[in-house]
Amino acid sequence: MNPLYAGLADIFEVDPELITPDARLEDLGWDSLAMVSTIALFDEVYGKPVGVDKLKTCQTVADIEALAAG
Amino acid sequence: MSNTDAVGTSTTIRDVRIAGVVACVPARVVGNDELSERFGDAVAQVTKMTGVITRHIAAPEQTTADLCAAAAEALFDRAGIDRTTIGALIFISQTPDHRLPATACLLQDRLGLPVGIAAFDVNLGCSAYPYGLWLASMMIASGGPQRVLLLVGDTISKIVHGEDRATALLFGDCGTATLVEADGEGSATFLLGTDGAGGRNLIVPKGGFRADLPADPRNPNPEDTLFMEGSEIFTFTLGAVPRLIDGLVEASGIARDDFDAFLFHQANGFMIKHLAKKAKLPPEKVPMNIDRFGNTSSATIPLLLATDCREQVTGGASYMLAMLGFGVGYSWAGCAMRVGPLAVADLVTA
Repeated sequence: MNPLYAGLADIFEVDPELITPDARLEDLGWDSLAMVSTIALFDEVYGKPVGVDKLKTCQTVADIEALAAG
Repeated sequence: MSNTDAVGTSTTIRDVRIAGVVACVPARVVGNDELSERFGDAVAQVTKMTGVITRHIAAPEQTTADLCAAAAEALFDRAGIDRTTIGALIFISQTPDHRLPATACLLQDRLGLPVGIAAFDVNLGCSAYPYGLWLASMMIASGGPQRVLLLVGDTISKIVHGEDRATALLFGDCGTATLVEADGEGSATFLLGTDGAGGRNLIVPKGGFRADLPADPRNPNPEDTLFMEGSEIFTFTLGAVPRLIDGLVEASGIARDDFDAFLFHQANGFMIKHLAKKAKLPPEKVPMNIDRFGNTSSATIPLLLATDCREQVTGGASYMLAMLGFGVGYSWAGCAMRVGPLAVADLVTA
């Protein structure tokens, strides 16, 4: 499984099947704690920090994934 | 000799050592159960991130200076220090007794230290302890005072907004006293750096003298209380701390494996574990006490020396330590130093 998706499932404590590209972060429980955990996850998976301003604009799982290419 | 680059300014100072350290925490312990009444289920969620289970909180009339004074008295008493031999006093805190005079001046009198000593305050938080060791070491190396009393601590509980779960659940209070002195065999390597561009991410905007406070839509708290943008701070540490560790190891000339422990500023449990893993440090070399004391700001590293590292630094041998402070400012400082055997490393309450 995509390590970003697996990590997000852990962070949101949901069934991994619910982490799809279209899944809306707000529906998963996107709050300040989830954001800090996602910053760590992003660093682990992609080996680089993610900008907080960019992360705050994300609305879906695919949006976070797209930041890795940026 | 010093060297400046993007990571920071490195310096090695010879012929200094830490002689003893005492930390003092307030007697009042506040557990998460007590805070659950105010924050409900959020306590469990935040604790999962911060790792803080209990913290010591100062009484309304109790200040950082009170805690540092109690620590200093215990240090003098337990290590048998003649206070007339103290040549300088440095007080590092973000929670001084007054806007003026410097708390260090009041503490000189209160502790019965000689009138003819240098005494001054420094305003730093997370990076305070390595900074203080650097200042004290430079003073000693300059040929001036041969014994410096370094008092470092904070009572951040007094400046958090009571309804702000990000800070009210994280911080604890502590004051510490460290004696730094001339020693023919000791030496310490320091690496210090600053990036003030991050200053607004951890700030008490009001209380100084700037009238036109910058508006910050992210800050829901009253301007005379602490605002912390945790995600920005964490992102900063991901970049700065691994570089601080690598830079300190390189500047010290000591192999990474030869360090006995890496004493991280106890910022947040999740953060420390992530940073230690990222730096490939074995968990057993990264002591943590944030579960029992919370983030005590400037005091976390000497509090670690007086608690979780106590047996090591007061045993028969000396331990090679990397002390790593990072945060508010942004400011960061590292110190590589062989520590021990100390005359005293104790925790007291007041």
